[in-house]
Amino acid sequence: MAKTELRGSHGPAPDHVLTRWIGIENLARIGVYEKQGGYRSWKKAMTELEPAELTNEVKISGLRGRGGAGFPTGIKWGFLPPPDGGPRFVVVNADESEPGTAKDRYLMENNPHQLVEGILIACRAVSAQQAWIYIRGEYDLQHLAVQAAIDEARAAGYIGEKPYGVDFPVDIQLFRGHGAYICGEETALLESLEGKRAQPRSRPPFPAVKGAWGRPTLLNNVETLSTLPWIIEKGGAEYAKFGTEKSHGTRLFTVSGDVRKPGNYEMELGRPFRDLIEGMAGGARPGRKIKAWWPGGSSAPVLTGDLLDTPSDLEALAAAGSMGGSGGVIVADDTRCVVRMAYRLMQFYARESCGKCTPCRVGGNWAVRTYERVLSGHGTADDLALFDRVQSGLAAGRCLCGLGDAAGWVIQWTMARFREEYEEHCLRNECSVEGGGRAQPLPSTAASGDLPPPEGRKLAHA
Amino acid sequence: MSVERAGETVPETVVEEIRELPKRFQPGSRSAVMPALDLVQEELGYLTPAAMSQVAEALEIDPGYVEGVASFYSLFHLEPVGKHHFYVCNNLSCQLRGAEEILTHLKDAIGVGEYGEISQDGLFSCEPVECLGACEYAPVLRYHHRFHYDLTDAAVDKLIAAARGKRRDGKD
Repeated sequence: MAKTELRGSHGPAPDHVLTRWIGIENLARIGVYEKQGGYRSWKKAMTELEPAELTNEVKISGLRGRGGAGFPTGIKWGFLPPPDGGPRFVVVNADESEPGTAKDRYLMENNPHQLVEGILIACRAVSAQQAWIYIRGEYDLQHLAVQAAIDEARAAGYIGEKPYGVDFPVDIQLFRGHGAYICGEETALLESLEGKRAQPRSRPPFPAVKGAWGRPTLLNNVETLSTLPWIIEKGGAEYAKFGTEKSHGTRLFTVSGDVRKPGNYEMELGRPFRDLIEGMAGGARPGRKIKAWWPGGSSAPVLTGDLLDTPSDLEALAAAGSMGGSGGVIVADDTRCVVRMAYRLMQFYARESCGKCTPCRVGGNWAVRTYERVLSGHGTADDLALFDRVQSGLAAGRCLCGLGDAAGWVIQWTMARFREEYEEHCLRNECSVEGGGRAQPLPSTAASGDLPPPEGRKLAHA
Repeated sequence: MSVERAGETVPETVVEEIRELPKRFQPGSRSAVMPALDLVQEELGYLTPAAMSQVAEALEIDPGYVEGVASFYSLFHLEPVGKHHFYVCNNLSCQLRGAEEILTHLKDAIGVGEYGEISQDGLFSCEPVECLGACEYAPVLRYHHRFHYDLTDAAVDKLIAAARGKRRDGKD
């Protein structure tokens, strides 16, 4: 197979923490990784620093989880109780499934040793001797790349009975997921790792206390862990120089959709999204204008095209009415109908609901049916009110995990920010964006085939 | 006492492999269920009731439990699929770059009317899937454990033409 073209940050640059070595030929081989300075941080972690000092460096760095919630990593590490002699685990969330997010894949396939080294550092910090990487089943080549890196690290003695002669037996294993978005939620992931249907647990107890197989467990995302070798090498204070007062460091964003150069781009937190979307990703295609964008995966509330100057730190995004989420930036231009895009995302949330909580299980499907009715030319004023009711039933923390909220936000924020498009569809059965004034046929994946034929003037638009 | 269940079974060599799986995990856990189902699906192409019973027996777990796990995860097939099965991403990032058109073309090219339907020659089937996590290469599909990027109708045609001489595992 031909070598795949690298689409994203690579090579040295002042703000390339995660991607500084990407692009070097055969970086996935341990010799090449070592030559760049790889595994020096692991050595430092084992021979120069105490576990508590590792945690302290990470606290100083201000690193916050890059999976979606943005929780301070060092503080999370501190939640594990002191060792009691029984097993403890580090579980790596490599189940990247948030729509529009590909950065963990990019890191695993291009620099797998960086992840392995980060996992080892985390193991040492929280005194866990077994790590499990829960990787989504669709990432076949990435699975093999990480497995090969583990095998090489084991052969080199970095993983094993006595790394650097220190009595700290440590091991890393991979566990393959099988197609369930919900497994990105950490307690659902643990259920899945234990061989069950992946339904979130109620908390407390939190995984730090009672996680995998009932034992203390640290869960971190691939990008979070991949940042650790740099932090331990250069120090937490050095990392904290990047970013804003509260959002330190850099972040690997995935930019996809209606841009000229989709890719995974690393950027210092706080720089405006315009630098990312119009600079690195090349902006909208000729003659088009960016109309809507999701700054942190489809679960982050949509923003309008006039907000591209929003800084990329988590606080600025919250102030703009959205969130940092997974860092997956989906861009849509002015040829796209917001109601149709919302419908596609709602199909996703409805299908991926695990079924445990009623508001999410029922609400998602209800919303999908409403979108299908409206998009096929049967919308009424009642549907506007219905969207609102369904939305408020889904969101507001009514479910065990965030999937229900995210589903509700799709309706809530596309409606709040593109109200006129919903009114066009619901009140006049028109779409001025895609349909030249007519409602368009549904895509081939629509669920309901049993709608009555449109009546009266609606016929003209169906 | 075991109840006769429908469908193909996996050979004893695979059952032996399945019996070895629990050693990788915490004692008493059920973590081996999914890796076991993986082995079955690689062997048979999908999970038959009879083979799921074999898994249950090998791991000493209730067959209903095994089926409950299998039915939760979308990568497990409980119905037969074609020898060559395409997983086509059509979440938003791929849809914005033409995934719907790719799906329509693919269905026509392999001669099926519905997703999940197998072509008359038994060779092909396809399904739309949620975000595959390769958004910078959209539109994307997954086929025989590999991603295929920047899809066009012509690229899809090429895959299909090449597939006509392949075995189930995708090797030439």
